[in-house]
Amino acid sequence: MQQTHKQSDKMVNFSVDQMRAIMDLKHNIRSMSVIAHVDHGKTTLTDSLVQKAGIISAKAAGGMRYTDTRKDEAERGITIKSTGISMFFEYDIKAGEVAGLSEEEEAAQKAAVEELMEAESNVKISENSYLINLIDSPGHVDFSSEVTAALRVTDGALVVVDTIDGVCVQTETVLRQAISERVRPVLMVNKVDRALLELQLPAEELYQAFCRSIESVNVIVAMYNDEALGDVQVDPTKGTVAFGSGLHQWAFTLKRFAKTYGQKFNVPEDKMMGKLWGDWYFDPERKVWTSQNKDGNLERAFCQFIATPITTLFEAIMAEKHGKVKKMLSAIGVELKADEKELTGKALLKRVMQKWLPAGDTVLEMIVLHLPSPAVAQKYRVDTLYNGPLDDATATAIRNCDTSDNAPLCMYISKMVPTSDKGRFYGFGRVFSGKIATGQKVRILGPNYTPGKKTDIWVKNIQRTVIMMGRYTEQVADIPAGNTCALVGVDQYLLKSGTIVTEEDAHTIKTMKFSVSPVVRCAVEPKNSADLPKLVEGMKRLAKSDPMVLCYTEESGEHIIACSGELHMEICLQDLQQDFMGTEVKVSDPVVSFRETCNAKSNQTCLAKSANKHNRLFVEADTLGPELCTAIDEGDINAGADAKIQGRKMADEYGWDVTEARKIWAFGPEGTGPNLFVDTTKGVNYLIEIKESVVGGFAWATQNGPLCEEQMRGCRFNLMDVTLHADAIHRGMGQIMPTARRVCFSSMMTAEPNLLEPVYLCNISVPQDAMGNVYGVLTQRRGHVFSEEQRPGTPQMTLLAYLPVMESFGFTADLRSNTGGKAFPQCSFDHWEPMTGTVYGGGKVAETILAVRKRKGLKEGIPEIAQYLDKL
Amino acid sequence: MVLYIIGLGLHDEKDVTVRGLELIKSSDKVFLEAYTSVLSVGKERLEAFYGRDDIIVADRDYVECQAENIYLPAKDGNVSFLVVGDPVCATTHSDIMIRAREVGVKVEVVHNASAMGAVGCCGLQLYNFGQTVSIPYFDDNWRPTSFYPRIKYNRMGGMHTLCLLDIKVKEPDFEAMKRGKIVYLPPRFMLVNESAEQLIEAEDIRKGGAYIPNKTLCVGLARLGQPDQCIIAGTLEELKEADFGKPLHCLVICGEVHEMELEALRPYLIENSTFEIDAEGSLFDRGETD
Repeated sequence: MQQTHKQSDKMVNFSVDQMRAIMDLKHNIRSMSVIAHVDHGKTTLTDSLVQKAGIISAKAAGGMRYTDTRKDEAERGITIKSTGISMFFEYDIKAGEVAGLSEEEEAAQKAAVEELMEAESNVKISENSYLINLIDSPGHVDFSSEVTAALRVTDGALVVVDTIDGVCVQTETVLRQAISERVRPVLMVNKVDRALLELQLPAEELYQAFCRSIESVNVIVAMYNDEALGDVQVDPTKGTVAFGSGLHQWAFTLKRFAKTYGQKFNVPEDKMMGKLWGDWYFDPERKVWTSQNKDGNLERAFCQFIATPITTLFEAIMAEKHGKVKKMLSAIGVELKADEKELTGKALLKRVMQKWLPAGDTVLEMIVLHLPSPAVAQKYRVDTLYNGPLDDATATAIRNCDTSDNAPLCMYISKMVPTSDKGRFYGFGRVFSGKIATGQKVRILGPNYTPGKKTDIWVKNIQRTVIMMGRYTEQVADIPAGNTCALVGVDQYLLKSGTIVTEEDAHTIKTMKFSVSPVVRCAVEPKNSADLPKLVEGMKRLAKSDPMVLCYTEESGEHIIACSGELHMEICLQDLQQDFMGTEVKVSDPVVSFRETCNAKSNQTCLAKSANKHNRLFVEADTLGPELCTAIDEGDINAGADAKIQGRKMADEYGWDVTEARKIWAFGPEGTGPNLFVDTTKGVNYLIEIKESVVGGFAWATQNGPLCEEQMRGCRFNLMDVTLHADAIHRGMGQIMPTARRVCFSSMMTAEPNLLEPVYLCNISVPQDAMGNVYGVLTQRRGHVFSEEQRPGTPQMTLLAYLPVMESFGFTADLRSNTGGKAFPQCSFDHWEPMTGTVYGGGKVAETILAVRKRKGLKEGIPEIAQYLDKL
Repeated sequence: MVLYIIGLGLHDEKDVTVRGLELIKSSDKVFLEAYTSVLSVGKERLEAFYGRDDIIVADRDYVECQAENIYLPAKDGNVSFLVVGDPVCATTHSDIMIRAREVGVKVEVVHNASAMGAVGCCGLQLYNFGQTVSIPYFDDNWRPTSFYPRIKYNRMGGMHTLCLLDIKVKEPDFEAMKRGKIVYLPPRFMLVNESAEQLIEAEDIRKGGAYIPNKTLCVGLARLGQPDQCIIAGTLEELKEADFGKPLHCLVICGEVHEMELEALRPYLIENSTFEIDAEGSLFDRGETD
């Protein structure tokens, strides 16, 4: 995890101009994210890649370092923000073969390359030159939103898995996200050095550990399989799996060994790769390859030819058997320099392995060979990216990754990166089609833009287009499709993300779907009340800088920051105080979001009259049920779907009446949430003219429920009947909207109202002996363990537990102090759980409602139904 | 005791009737309803004229949601509730009358001039008017055209249609409201020009032939009953461009126009207007006589 970089003496001097030049070769670009569970070694592995590849020259970059890391990242040993870096890699295969180009395309590519080669440079750009845009992402679950933003702008993912820990909860989350974004994975089984040095695994067990990791990854891949993405199972025999150690900077794929052994056995490389994995054995007596090991005295080919040589070498070096080491080194063709010969133990081991199986070469080779170029990836990614019709000009240009001069532009801004100018941000993102150029007139579309409307759109000129390398930026004239870049000035219009296009009829790129939600909230106030303006400004900046964090002001005047977890909160508060405000704030106890819900059908048809009393709405509430809520959360049932098809689905899967399912007026809150408003009336005049107003009232009601102004969840409102004034003026929004809200309130409150509290899924890894203490801590906090599993070959246990978010503050610290630092928990939001007691009968629910109302400065006491219910 | 609902007429403080004035002076409490219409003068001028300084301005929220504050005091004393125009013509105060009677308060109405009568000043005869409609402001998502069939109904019967135009006073910002905040928008009064545009759009949507934007005769009226009142007659297309000045505005869509009516209207006609009076009887469904 340490961020120690050594300037490699072979580092190529790679200028911005050259980097810009390669950007035109869309078949030679690989954009990829490094994703993994926390502490599985992403950042360390990234370092070893950077060492190998050419990066922007120190001179041109004004003395910058390549991964510009935050101080706190180094201190904590975890990554917080995803950091992008571009690398130059020379790989000698015919570029055309990889990209699967047609002849014309190949000719065009060649012409483009030739043009570039004319430019004088110390790096020769050829068809063997690759530009690798790598984004190192955080592994802690609290920062999952950073991963989502990284995946959106990349086409491939290097999944890193710890040999010993195997696939963990966060591996699964990020891998699932990658596949849903149609990002192709390759696997790196990391920390093999630990397996060999700490656990002393023999060859066969090492093979088994590798198999487990690969199988677990493939199980997840199969589960979320997407046909458009093709076969994305990782397979060592295809070269999509590498094994090694990021820390010691060595790695190998079967391809590496197949090359050597292929020559020796005179077997083609492809075939050889197949023999080096699975149940294949070489019978030295008969000199044949066999898949039968009847006597059990043959060693698996993988072990015989790969694992055993490595383990033997490890043993020899660690045991300091100099003679044996020397012999082995000459066998594998590693020559040590004079000063290196002085090394012993781990240091020698590291150097030898680096020389023998350099991680950079292996992993970069795997990336170039098996991850798609933008030109390939965008063919299948366009469907899941673009909101508009898939045959319009913009969609076509995205599909073809069209970089021609008059191609429609489409760029997605996935995150905002602070600039050195305080308070201003770069909009960072990926160009999907056309070229984005400084000074170009573009349409900036916010996430809520709908074509034809004039809201959430700005027509402006691009101030500056820049290439980003950590904090260092360099202005360029334009950036072609398939690359990532940053824009100056769009932060004035976009909050966190947005789409930039040129075509009039272009739609937005789909908004990113985060796997975590901001369930932990804190109220902040400045220590010195004169700093209030600073706080308000600081919160605005914080909101921009992080894809997930929510900053807003409550009715009571409290300034709230909402984050995905305790660690995320800690980082946000630190950023707010140090970077965005420069002064300190007072932070309240964390506040938890709740959801208001109903458990049954209203015990009466509720009536609300409009203020002028001329309009009457009759509504009954009912419960949606958890299955349907989940389906809405996941977008299986959604507001945009075709009413007929979705109606059928709701009838078949959720037991709805088909006609009613087709008459869903709205989802709420925010037009997408898990509450439904259904029109069940028959033959009411002018009904369609009040729909908008009723939906508005419903949106309002579901956003701030009656119990304690929390969002609603799982409520269904059936509009039973309506009486309206004949004249449209007397049933406008001012009359209907507040009425609709009140009737939603009263109907929900007559349908056994309740609160839902958020519950974490806690993944705790702990040694067996400290397990009892974990149980103790959990019980105190209303948590319970529901799964206990031992990691094969270790005394480590993995516990899965549910823990109410309300009780989770200080949990990590508490757990560590009670287990002497042995237990390591990761909590992520899992589900909403009904609270005990009843709203009007007391118990935990009633207590919570009163507490929330008090905190928000609302009228004391539980609200009466009568204030929302009108009489005939 | 009594709740007097008193019409104030159309122009300024002096339009009140003598009886109305006497009642106002003798009342214990006076409320001024300030959202269904507006006078050309403010509350201060009224107070000066009535010789009292305690008029309570009742906005929409007050009248609709806290009506009891208005009629309950009438149990113990006299209360005047002042309404611009006539209390029972173009306004919607039936609810307050019903509720006052329910609690045993006696209600008396003092009438005055209303736009619904004053519209006759343009020359069209009140006998020939059909149902009155209101034209609400269209917004991005709400473009109700339910007034259209009623205009058509009137026109089929050869009747004129008085269109009252939307007034938005103390209208909340609904986008903010959905987020749980109450923010009021600046007041808006629909102009004849805007109503003409919306009517043309309604015809375009419904295509029912209720009126023909470049042919049917319409009359736009501004500040009825005030010294600077303005009347312009022409087609919708023409009125869309005409300048009527300050609010309040209203509009008449003519049905069959009698010769006398046309004669009276002539001074207000836009020069070279392209209007065409529908031939007599053409709008009636008189069966298949032809």
